Amino acid sequence: MTFRQLAYRNVLRNRRSYAAFLMASVFSVMVFFVYSMFIFHPLFEAEGLQLLAVRGMFIAEIVLYVFTLFFLFYSMSAFLQARSKEFGVLMHLGMTKKQLSKLVFFETLILGAASTAAGIALGFAFSKFFFMVGREIMALDYLPLYMSWKPFLLTIAAFASLFIIISVISVGFIRTKRIVDLMQGYWKTEEVTQVSGLLSVLGIVLLAGAYTLAAMVTDQTVYQMVVIVPPLATLGTYLFFTHTIHFLLDIYKKKKSIYWNKARLVSLAEASVKLKDSAQMFFIVTIVSTVAFLAVGTLASFTSYTGDYRELNPLSMIYISFDSDEQEREHVEQLVAQLEQKRLAYDVAPLKVKRQTSEFSGNVVDILKASDFNRLALALGYEAVNPERGEGLFIPYSKESLSELSRSKVQTGFVESDVPISISSVYPHILFPSHTLNFNSIVVNDADFEAVTEPLTGFEKGESDFTYYAFHIPQWTETIGIGDNLALSMEEAVQAENFQHVNFFFENPGDDYHWFKSSFALLLFIGLMVAAVFLLAAGSFIYFKLYTGLERDRKQYLLLVRLGMTEKELGKIVNRQLIPQFFLPWVVALLHSAFAFISLQVVWDEFAELSILGEMALVLAGFTVAQILYFFLIRWRYIAHLQAP
Amino acid sequence: MTHRALNQLSFEVKKGEFLAVMGPSGSGKTTLLNLISTIDSLTSGDILIDGINPHMLDKNELALFRRRKLGFVFQDFNLLQMLTVEENLVLPLTLDYVPTQEMANRVLDVAKRLDLTSILHKRPNEISGGEAQRTAIGRALIHKPALILADEPTGNLDSKASRDVLELLSNISYEEGATIIMVTHDPIAASYCDRVLFIKDGEFFNEIYRDDRRQTFYQKILNVLSLLGGNVNDLSATRLP
Repeated sequence: MTFRQLAYRNVLRNRRSYAAFLMASVFSVMVFFVYSMFIFHPLFEAEGLQLLAVRGMFIAEIVLYVFTLFFLFYSMSAFLQARSKEFGVLMHLGMTKKQLSKLVFFETLILGAASTAAGIALGFAFSKFFFMVGREIMALDYLPLYMSWKPFLLTIAAFASLFIIISVISVGFIRTKRIVDLMQGYWKTEEVTQVSGLLSVLGIVLLAGAYTLAAMVTDQTVYQMVVIVPPLATLGTYLFFTHTIHFLLDIYKKKKSIYWNKARLVSLAEASVKLKDSAQMFFIVTIVSTVAFLAVGTLASFTSYTGDYRELNPLSMIYISFDSDEQEREHVEQLVAQLEQKRLAYDVAPLKVKRQTSEFSGNVVDILKASDFNRLALALGYEAVNPERGEGLFIPYSKESLSELSRSKVQTGFVESDVPISISSVYPHILFPSHTLNFNSIVVNDADFEAVTEPLTGFEKGESDFTYYAFHIPQWTETIGIGDNLALSMEEAVQAENFQHVNFFFENPGDDYHWFKSSFALLLFIGLMVAAVFLLAAGSFIYFKLYTGLERDRKQYLLLVRLGMTEKELGKIVNRQLIPQFFLPWVVALLHSAFAFISLQVVWDEFAELSILGEMALVLAGFTVAQILYFFLIRWRYIAHLQAP
Repeated sequence: MTHRALNQLSFEVKKGEFLAVMGPSGSGKTTLLNLISTIDSLTSGDILIDGINPHMLDKNELALFRRRKLGFVFQDFNLLQMLTVEENLVLPLTLDYVPTQEMANRVLDVAKRLDLTSILHKRPNEISGGEAQRTAIGRALIHKPALILADEPTGNLDSKASRDVLELLSNISYEEGATIIMVTHDPIAASYCDRVLFIKDGEFFNEIYRDDRRQTFYQKILNVLSLLGGNVNDLSATRLP
């Protein structure tokens, strides 16, 4: 057996304890490689969704790299710690420190090479599938598989550097220890931190504080809270696992009537030892899981935006022509022609809008004519309005404004044209997206509308009026591409900050909807893969902890069975041991995420009024189901190992 | 560490001698062995092995010294679980980059001597305690060290396996002229040696030599042990097999 064979055999025969770790690494390499395949795709153009995809995946690759670095760092240090007795024996037998470094270096490189190779192979095998998904999401005609050395080189370079960094660092873990200490093995050298009552209370206080702050976030404080709450929660979580839990268990144990009760004695004593051993692991698993939940939850909450999109954008296409828009006819005819060319049924309602100052509030009001308004309302299938002379109805711009306006009655008039108006009701449907009309918009009797003759103060006659072309198209999602030239000239004007020749506003919600939907789906797709890597990594920590303790547990169970513990009681003990390991970090992570989502809801409320509760519940439920399945899988294997002769 | 585990202890071991070190728990036996093993360091005094004072060597030279000059047998065998019996045997040679062909020859030699041929490809968890300790002895022998150090080599074995292991060590000592220092608190194990050194509270207490019969030597050991006092429970059942 040569020295290299020694390293190789160590890895190969340790494969069971490396299994979960390797799975997480391989998956990370695979995702990284698939993203690289997208990024270097020769057909990708630097615009639109494809640009978003390239950027999103690039960021995801950086996240993966950094995360994998930490993941490997933590895993390798845990592996090496667990093998400290083995290293002690080797050094006792005369292995020099240099040889030990070489051994660890070789082993890490073997693991690295194996996971990189397997990850790339899997990634390449599945890239056709991922290309299909990507093609669907980005609505590309075709996205063929291609061969290029670039994605291979990037992935190999990234992970080779990563594993080399890790192998150099991990050598440092054992170099400094004394042989005598190493020989004592892993379990005995584990230092038991003294549980401090003060820190235990501080842990609870920090967590409670973070939760309270998160729950009470308002749109004014949200940005400060983003900086304050996560560090509080992180520190609180750490103290919770390293001190608070043990403190609580100690209190519980003092009540002997509860503690000294058959299986409870054993399981509680066991659980508290395990909890101490794994405090840091719990902390890391909790934080990693929380980040994964939040990432997927946030991305999923975007999709609820597309769900509510139609409600917020009831019109299918909007063209607003301001004063001195000479191309008004030309543009509208062009839109109509494009609609007809696509064989889409449509209804277009031109609405004349006049602007006046309100006597009541001094604000500018957009005024619509009842007959114009009714034409649109009927096209959309809503009821018509019929205001008397001198009467008006509020036009709501959001669900919130609808309920607010329904309670207000206003006696007002138009300052410039001196027309008195009393408003006592609100139109019960939202017709116009909030950004296309003034927040103060009303619909009035045709005669009152005609009576408004003077322009808004500060404008020449006619300059303050505009025409709002509201299109109703039943198949509104099919309007992709219509009016692209108008959208383009608006975009150019925005970029050049020169609106001189653009006296119109155009919006194609169908097109935007499509874009939103695809980009959110794309981000979700990217995020899900990264989150999967995170969760696999978190799972591998738990697996590893169980695996390293397995031999010890086995001896203990054998002893208990000999002492007369029944199989049923054994099952109970196993449950009581595994359940905290699996679900304690999980529950804390769920709590963290729930409070984070409460804050997120506030942020969403500010941008667009939607409820993300449904999506969140779905995401968290999905993760929980996955975790429960994982628990049963591990429990089954664990019991099988325990009962093995 | 402020506690003085060993004090004013001085003795010599001749080449080819099989020496037992006895003493109650906490008397400093293991510290003594760790010092000779070079994995613990002393505050004063010298240890000379084959004319070399290993505590004057730097860490790297020390590792080379252990690898070439010393062989170790532990109470709990300390075989590497990931390696087969054969691989465990050649481990000291692997560390010394000995050519593969030579390793193979020496493994065959040692395996034949220690009756390990049939289990060469098994892993430590598949073999019995006696076989595991024989493997450990093989590992301690294979590089022909100047000194073999054994720490309670029979502590985890049943009486039959203990006897085999002790006879083996004693044969190695007689036939190959290997020098062995064995720490034990089992008088039966000690009775296989040429000389027994007793220590108490880290200091020299007594030493006795074996003249001819193991039975009489065993009685003498028991006599010294009763003088030594200590905790009788430290000693295993005192019936000579």
